[in-house]
Amino acid sequence: MHTPVGQHVPVPETWSAILLVEDAVLIRLATAEALREAGFLVLEAANADEALTVLRGSTVIDVVVTDIRMPGAIDGLDLAQTVRATWPKLKIVIVSGDPLHERPPAPVDASFGKPVDAARLISCLKQIVARCTP
Amino acid sequence: MTSGADAAPDTVLLVDGDVLLRIVIGSYLRDCGYRVIEAVNAEEALRVLTQAELRIDAMLCDVELPGGMDGFALARRAREQRPSLDVIMTGTAARAADEAAELCEQGPQLKKPYEPQAVVDLIRRLRAERDRNAGR
Repeated sequence: MHTPVGQHVPVPETWSAILLVEDAVLIRLATAEALREAGFLVLEAANADEALTVLRGSTVIDVVVTDIRMPGAIDGLDLAQTVRATWPKLKIVIVSGDPLHERPPAPVDASFGKPVDAARLISCLKQIVARCTP
Repeated sequence: MTSGADAAPDTVLLVDGDVLLRIVIGSYLRDCGYRVIEAVNAEEALRVLTQAELRIDAMLCDVELPGGMDGFALARRAREQRPSLDVIMTGTAARAADEAAELCEQGPQLKKPYEPQAVVDLIRRLRAERDRNAGR
């Protein structure tokens, strides 16, 4: 049984744990619920600083899905670079409303433009996770 | 709040500036059958509350919130928007865990998934781990 929020917290069996980083609350809500409906365990962060707090708190995350433009000290690209350097086994998906970021800085595992098609994102995440599953 | 096998889950709006607390309390409430909407501050909470199509049965809200509006002010604005909203104020992780446990006693599955002290212990452990790893 996968226990992404700690050994003492029982959680339902899921595909994987996604850390969703998005500052627009209604977009975050819609995306999180679509991913939960698809069977993912979803942890929500409103910005990159919160995302790093979650990652430093030892919750077991499999994939970080992050917006790029967010308020706070660092943006989504900085977050992606920090995640890659600090937690190299984590997979990273970036989401951007800016067409300049359609070619993502390496290395991320996938990128999407906004508005995100939930079905495509879910399919992508399942493929990413499947590649990681022994 | 309603319960029953075919009823839609009751919905709790969880407003707290501490992401670790939101994650643990949110997970706890989802485990006992609630739909949980998470907001980091009053601005996000009000944006959710103004969406008339979103049913919100209760708001679990920290007294201290980041940004210009505290929990009490948010509670007043929330009741203007939704006079029947059940507003529950919290000030500590222990209080938040106790109130979440109370919601689970009343709520969709009428049971607690586990004791609220486990929630408090987990929040404390995650915060300590975060502090040890700060700067990574």
